[in-house]
Amino acid sequence: MKKFLMAATVLTVLWAGSARAGLFDTLKEVIGPDTKEGKILSGATQVLSSTQDMDYQTERTIGEALALEGLQRFGKPVANERLQEYVNLVGDAVAANSTRPTIPYRFAVLDSPVMNAFSTPGGIIFISKALLDIMDNEAELAGVLAHEVGHVAGKHALGTIRRGQFLSGVGTITAATMKGDQGKQFQSMVGDLQEVLFVKGLDKDLEFQADAMAMESAYRTGYDPRGLIEVLQKLQRIEATAGHKAGSWFSTHPPLDERIARLERQLKKYPDTAKLARLPDRFAKRTR
Amino acid sequence: MRRTVGAMLALLLALAGTAAMADETRWVTSDGTALKQEATMSSPDVAPLPVGTALTVIEAGDRWIRVRTADGKEGYVYAGRISDTQPAAEAGGGDGLFGESMQQSQIQAAKADSARSIRGLSPETAQYAKQRGTPASYQKALDRILARQVTPAELKAFLRQGRIGEYAP
Repeated sequence: MKKFLMAATVLTVLWAGSARAGLFDTLKEVIGPDTKEGKILSGATQVLSSTQDMDYQTERTIGEALALEGLQRFGKPVANERLQEYVNLVGDAVAANSTRPTIPYRFAVLDSPVMNAFSTPGGIIFISKALLDIMDNEAELAGVLAHEVGHVAGKHALGTIRRGQFLSGVGTITAATMKGDQGKQFQSMVGDLQEVLFVKGLDKDLEFQADAMAMESAYRTGYDPRGLIEVLQKLQRIEATAGHKAGSWFSTHPPLDERIARLERQLKKYPDTAKLARLPDRFAKRTR
Repeated sequence: MRRTVGAMLALLLALAGTAAMADETRWVTSDGTALKQEATMSSPDVAPLPVGTALTVIEAGDRWIRVRTADGKEGYVYAGRISDTQPAAEAGGGDGLFGESMQQSQIQAAKADSARSIRGLSPETAQYAKQRGTPASYQKALDRILARQVTPAELKAFLRQGRIGEYAP
C-alpha cells in the first residue's frame, strides 16, 4: 500500500511537472537546463566575465566602429528604402523575442556579391544582397537575422576581447580620450575584432549557440523555425559547386552539415511548425 | 480499500494540478508585451508588461496563458512572450538589483536610441572615423542606418499583416 502511494505520488509530481512545461519551454530541454549554454539560452545569465561590466554605450561605440569597417570591406547599403525598412521589421520582430530584447537593433542590406551576414556589438546587423537573393520566404530571412541577433545577445564578439585590453583601452572611452593612447588601443582592439568577425570567424561553439538561439526566437515570434535550416541547405548546395569561399558564411562558420544536423535535432522539439508563418509572397514583394 | 486508494490518488492529482497552475511564476521575456483582456490580440490591453515582469499563472494554455500581475491585474498573455526563467538584467544598469537595473538599462537604451535618431553617429564614433580617416560617405551611410527606426506601432502592424505569432488565426 505504502509503495503504491509512493508510486502514485511520484507519478503525480511527474504529471504536474509536465503540465508546467509549456509550449515555449522546449529549448532548455533540448540543450540541458544546467549547462552554460542552457542558461545563456534561457536568458538566465550574462555571458562574459571580462566584458560583463561594459556599459551599453561603450559596447555600441565598438559596434559602430566595426560597422564602419564592415561597410568599407563589404559595400554600402543597397539604395532601396522599402527593402531596408522590411529587413528592419523582420529583424526587430525576432529581436523582441531574443534573450536580449531591450537594446535598439539596426539592420541593413549591403550591396555585396559575397553571401554573408554579420553583427557588431550593440546590435548593428548586416546581411548581403547576395545572401538575401538565395532566400525564398520571410521565415528564412528571420532565421538568418535571428542568428546574428543571437551573437549580439550573447555578446559573442566582445568575449574575444582580452580583459587587459578592455580595461586599459575601452573602459572609459569618450570622444576626448579617443584621440590619445586610449584611442590607439581602441583602434587596435577594433582591428582584432575585425579579424575575428570578417576573417577567422567566431568559435564554432558560439555559432552553434547562435543557431540554437535563432531557431528559438524565430519560433517564439511565430516564424517557421525551419527557415534557418533551409538557408543552410541552400548554402550547402552552392558550396558544393562554388570554389571561392573567402569572407562568406562558408568560411567564417562551422561546417554546414554539422549545423544543419544540430538544428534538425532541435526542430523535433517544436510541436506545431507546420502552422507557423513563412510568407513567401510578402518576401518576394518586398525584396525584389 | 481500493476505493480509499482511488480517492487518495484523485486527491493527490487534484492537489498537484492546482499547485501546477496556482504557484507557477513566469517572467516576461519579450519586448512590447501587453496583458490582454481576452485570449486574442484584438481584445483591449489591460496593462503593458515590460521585460522582467513577474506573472502568476492562473490557468495554463497552449498559446494564451491566463495570468495575474503583482498588483492584482488579471488577463491573458501570449505564451511566446514569457518564460519560466527570469531574464538577466542588462549589464551596466547600476545597482545590480534586477528590477531597477533592468528599468534603468531600458531607459538608457531608449535614450541612446532616440539620441541616434536625431544625431546619428555618436561623438566617440565620429572621433574614431576622424582618427582612421574613414571616408565621409561611409560615415553618412552608417548615420542613415542608425536613424532608420521601427516604431512599436509599425512592428505591430507588420506582425498583424503577416498573421504572425499572437496574430495568427
